[in-house]
Amino acid sequence: MYHYLIRRLLLMFPTLFGITLVVFMVMAAAPGGISAQSLIEGQNLEPEVKKALEDYYNRLYGLDDPAPVQYLRWLNNVSPIGFTVDKDGELEGFSLTKGSDLGMSFRYGRPVLDLLAERVPVTLLLNVLSVPIIYLIAIVIGVRAATERGRSFDVGSGVTLLGLWSVPTMLAGVLLIGFFASDQYWHWFPTAGLSRREALVMPFLPHWSAWGDLLLLFAAVAVAVSLCVGISLKGGARLRMLLMAVLGLFLGGMMAAALPGEQGYLVTLVLAAALAGIFALVAYTDYAALRTGVMGIIGLFLGIAVAAHFAQGEFVRGFLLDRLWHLALPVLCLSYGSFAFLAKLTRSAVLENLQADYARTARAKGVPERLVLWRHVFRNSLLPLITVAAGLLPGLLGGSIIVEALFSIDGMGKLAVEAVQSRDRELVLSLTLISGLLTLVGYLISDICYAIADPRVSYE
Amino acid sequence: MLLQIDNLSTQLRTGDEDVAAVDGISFHIERGETFCLVGESGSGKSVSALSVIQLLPKDITTHPSGRILFDYRHPDGSREQVDMLSLPEERKRQIRGSRIAMIFQEPMTSLNPVFTIGEQIIEAVQLHDPQLSYPAARTKAIAALEQVMIANAAERIDEYPHRLSGGQRQRVMIAMAMACEPDLLIADEPTTALDVTVQAEILRLMKELQARRGTSILFITHDFGVVAQMAHRVGVMRQGKIVESGRLADVLHNPQHAYTRQLLAALPENLKRQREAALAGQAQPPAPAEAESMVDLRGLQVYFPIKKGVLQRTVDYVKAVDGIDLQIPKGQILALVGESGCGKSTLGRAILRLTEPTAGQIQFAGRNITHLPRTRLRALRRQMQIVFQDPMSSLNPRLTVAATLTEPMKVHGIGASKEERLALAAQVLESVQLKADHLWRYPHEFSGGQRQRIGIARALALNPSFIICDEITSALDVSVQAEVLQLLLALRREHDLTLLFITHNISVVEYLSDEVAVMYAGKIVERGPTAQVCARPSHPYTQKLLAAVPRVPL
Amino acid sequence: MSEGGAVNTVPVTPKARAQRGYLSQAVREAFVDWGTRLGALWIGVLIFIAVFAPFLANSHPLLLSEAGQVRSPLLEYLSAADVTLLVAFFSALALLWVPGTVRSKLLAWLAILALGGLLSWLLISPPKLSIYEQYRERQASGQYDWVITAPIPYSAKDYLRDYGAAGLEAPLASEERRHWLGTDENGADVLSRMIHATRIALGIGLVATGIAMLIGTIIGGLMGYFSGVVDMIGMRLVEIFEAIPVLFLLLTFVAFFGRNLYIMMVIIGITSWTGYARYVRAEFLKLRQQEFVQAAVACGLPLHSILFRHMLPNGMAPVLVAVSFSVASAILAEATLSFLGLGLVDDPSWGQMLNQAVQAATFNWWMAAFPGGAIFLTVFAYNLIGESMRDAIDPYLKKSSR
Repeated sequence: MYHYLIRRLLLMFPTLFGITLVVFMVMAAAPGGISAQSLIEGQNLEPEVKKALEDYYNRLYGLDDPAPVQYLRWLNNVSPIGFTVDKDGELEGFSLTKGSDLGMSFRYGRPVLDLLAERVPVTLLLNVLSVPIIYLIAIVIGVRAATERGRSFDVGSGVTLLGLWSVPTMLAGVLLIGFFASDQYWHWFPTAGLSRREALVMPFLPHWSAWGDLLLLFAAVAVAVSLCVGISLKGGARLRMLLMAVLGLFLGGMMAAALPGEQGYLVTLVLAAALAGIFALVAYTDYAALRTGVMGIIGLFLGIAVAAHFAQGEFVRGFLLDRLWHLALPVLCLSYGSFAFLAKLTRSAVLENLQADYARTARAKGVPERLVLWRHVFRNSLLPLITVAAGLLPGLLGGSIIVEALFSIDGMGKLAVEAVQSRDRELVLSLTLISGLLTLVGYLISDICYAIADPRVSYE
Repeated sequence: MLLQIDNLSTQLRTGDEDVAAVDGISFHIERGETFCLVGESGSGKSVSALSVIQLLPKDITTHPSGRILFDYRHPDGSREQVDMLSLPEERKRQIRGSRIAMIFQEPMTSLNPVFTIGEQIIEAVQLHDPQLSYPAARTKAIAALEQVMIANAAERIDEYPHRLSGGQRQRVMIAMAMACEPDLLIADEPTTALDVTVQAEILRLMKELQARRGTSILFITHDFGVVAQMAHRVGVMRQGKIVESGRLADVLHNPQHAYTRQLLAALPENLKRQREAALAGQAQPPAPAEAESMVDLRGLQVYFPIKKGVLQRTVDYVKAVDGIDLQIPKGQILALVGESGCGKSTLGRAILRLTEPTAGQIQFAGRNITHLPRTRLRALRRQMQIVFQDPMSSLNPRLTVAATLTEPMKVHGIGASKEERLALAAQVLESVQLKADHLWRYPHEFSGGQRQRIGIARALALNPSFIICDEITSALDVSVQAEVLQLLLALRREHDLTLLFITHNISVVEYLSDEVAVMYAGKIVERGPTAQVCARPSHPYTQKLLAAVPRVPL
Repeated sequence: MSEGGAVNTVPVTPKARAQRGYLSQAVREAFVDWGTRLGALWIGVLIFIAVFAPFLANSHPLLLSEAGQVRSPLLEYLSAADVTLLVAFFSALALLWVPGTVRSKLLAWLAILALGGLLSWLLISPPKLSIYEQYRERQASGQYDWVITAPIPYSAKDYLRDYGAAGLEAPLASEERRHWLGTDENGADVLSRMIHATRIALGIGLVATGIAMLIGTIIGGLMGYFSGVVDMIGMRLVEIFEAIPVLFLLLTFVAFFGRNLYIMMVIIGITSWTGYARYVRAEFLKLRQQEFVQAAVACGLPLHSILFRHMLPNGMAPVLVAVSFSVASAILAEATLSFLGLGLVDDPSWGQMLNQAVQAATFNWWMAAFPGGAIFLTVFAYNLIGESMRDAIDPYLKKSSR
């Protein structure tokens, strides 16, 4: 195992080297490439100033050297072990402790390291929040689809998830912003950024001026959630559907009323009917876990809404809630696309394992079907899910490019777009390096998890 | 009477149609008795067994008729006769594992890989005795493992299945099945995937356990040798029906149904007897004089490196073939016998240089081909051919039989035109008892035996002098095997072939080969004329191997 | 005699199957599914729209009579690409009716396509400058006797300069003009631009996937067959391309190489081959051990026959399963790039139109719903087809590996 880990760590170096080489070659081979001219392009300058600027950039970044020299110089700067260079660009000697230097960004004129330290955590936050949501929903749906193979839940969830998968992230983002964040429709969420300016000075946790409000909140949430969950668990299908449909009608009407400007009856009717339909469908499904979960969440929001409506005192949102409020839409955008893929994978893994010889052995022992599924089959079905966890990361990093651009979040993705657009060589290379590193570390972690989950794997 | 099955039918839905996998069978099993269901693949014997324990997938299974009456023993000792078909699912579940237990064919996949063997046995024990505390259940599990002769059971109980060999896993399966002391044990081909020496141990173990516990066994197998070892009574199945059943000795020595007679006649032991009877009047053919050797191996080694550590340095080798000297005389059939993993297939491939030898020398027809460059080797391949084991994967599914047969001919310049080659291919097909119009079919349209014939035809098409047959009959039913073996003998006479016949099946060797070489752990431990080696084995391994072969008393 | 699961022991009744390769069987099975049919129908509609785009939406009138003279500005302004597409479409239609093997038909079609393309590039040179306003002005001043226009009388790049300050306009908002789906920020008709953008979406999907498939199959095949050092190097290459988020690599390529349609096709192709390489490699590693390949070696067949006749056709199933998904993701990639403002500059593209939905201070729902919906439907259609192709091919894969 340790040998394997060390080997994998060592193999990361050629891969990282290759990644940066590929990206550098792309930049160097491009028409125009990266030169002092390309950096000051578009600026309206006197010829002398232009010349002086070009000379300055050339001196600063060594842009007039041949491309291989430029790459080697960059590599030497980045590597923590390497040659030291004196002021005139002559090699001084070899140092083991010189530390790595990612260089200066052309565009921002700031050290790349500072930029990364600012931006990378934001993107990681988005991704780290998305992954558990993706896995939870994929497993909940995938396992059920496998046990209901060929029935309506399987077919329905399959088509729905495939449809979700096919919705381009930018379309989902644009629609979400347009309808739920812009002030033309429901202005429920912020349109941009990660937090409001005033939130930065707020206390971390939410804060109520009146204790009664807090009590009210707890009471309302408790009542609403237990009501919804109770209906889901105890009520018959008809009762559930009826109650939920009525709730949907009511909420739909409220939503229509919340729209700015005068709305016709048609809008109200359509909204109410749509919401009622969705709620009734949720109430109809005989998959108790999914139904109760969704209905519980509906109850939660209902309780919060009621409490907010009747609250007397002042309410300070606090940094945490504000951040979550800003993150809701971006995380939704980032995660919905991956459900389909993972749920499909879960489904086929569970299906395959349900037919495996060892599952038959368990049944022959007299193990009830529920335990065959959750004790024997499920754990084996997790193995392929662990493997793809690593592959998910590059996809999410790519997805954050779109999401960050859409929601104006200053993360790595947005930085990447800006960097390539302004041909900021140091920044592009460093971003390549860091995303490659993140991906490789992801692979490594999933390998380790696999070895933990599967006793057969020892990586000897 | 423990189990009585009346007119049981089982239909399985495949696609849009129901297939009658079991078609009105009746039999019964007494306490302490072993009943063997024997039949060829697809005869419905496994489905019968799974019907008894009610483990067939519910959504595709129907039972149009029949009763499965089981003498259920209540935990308090009272008895009740129940019909497994009409019990509610919960009652069936209680019976499974506690009163009827089952073991399966594939020991490699039948245990859950992510749980230790202890966890799996304890689960079974606690499931049917929920009051049992964990330590008590663990003690019981260890005792169960000890009963099946797992050495060091107290320690090995925490092993994961992948650390055990196939034979040990099957022991664990038996321990798990027997842990709740069932009245009926269903064994579905439990030794088919095992080597013959391991099979002998498992069979002995099952008989011992049965004698001690008085368990009844429903034993499913295709192997009459195993039947002869295990059964008190036998049922012969064919196409979902039991065509004949009765006491073991009656069925073996006085078969009533034509199908039983046909099956028994196809046993290699019987083929040999028939041939000897036919030859009895004639003079024995003179023993072959010291013929020159077709293949001559000197110190042949095939090592596969084991790489370890950070730099993947080679730390050791798997010595698949470990220094073999072997001569195959012209015109002879040499059988290479050994158990799985002994390197016999690797040796076969190395002779043809499909696997590169690590060291040593291969001489073919007096010519050293060990280091012959690929291009020159290619021309030589015409003279040496190979037929493989698996009829499913030995033919390219995308090519017609005609393409499979004529492409090598074209490469080696056999036949002047396409028409001539097709005519030749048709001839070859007829020589393996297939029809010329089969040329235009694809492999998936043939049965396993037919595909194996096509494989032989492909080898013959180049008119070689030497053919390696790598386990060519081990995936076939016994009656098909008999046909293929007879075909092979006929072809060898016709074409004056030299054969290297690689197999694990001793009775086939006895029927087919002139000489036999026994391989063990990469080395040849014994070699000699077949009759001599089989009658008076000199090496201890050969002796053990021959003793383990389940024989049909004839 | 291996009797694995209970289900396998059922005697399989051989159905009367046509004597075709199992791939065409799989395709046929896939099309039993209604989802696939709907998907294929939508793709068919798109192909039709793409081929006949100039006839569907064009500011140049189809026919007009000026001073007694009848002429067709639309035909005069047809570009070489338009004509090539038309030739390709009609020759494909014609070949469908002609009997013959699939391979010969395909070859004939490619030949016609090459010839038609060459001839039209050489012979057809539409006028460089097109003044769209002139027709409307002249019609208004009564210079034409009669005019037959295309169903949507606006070209994709007709920015309606004659109507003054044109810009974003909701569907059917204008009194004097009829824009079914509104106009974009430059004042061009959205429906017209969407129709013309169909070509880019379909073209990029197919060509980029073709390129990716070619590269992936070659590299994967080499890795799988030769293994050893070749495999080691190849896998590092695959890892390198997989470790960079594809979108990031695309951005870099596009930002540095400019925004040409053909360059974009190539770039999307060379950033998405790794999946194919992995599939083909795994298949080849498996196939190399298969007995029929060993038998082919033992028969002394030459390397090219072993590789291309015995291994490649048997290893292509997972590649073909991936094709449909891959087309979908190539279309998405183009849309994303255009959305981020790195797509084609002036040519219409669904993604670039989608970008305008929130670009201005307000939310323009028609710029989100229509182009976004088109991307969604197209991607969904390809994914549906891919899904049922996988379901149809997978059982075959499992059967043959057993």
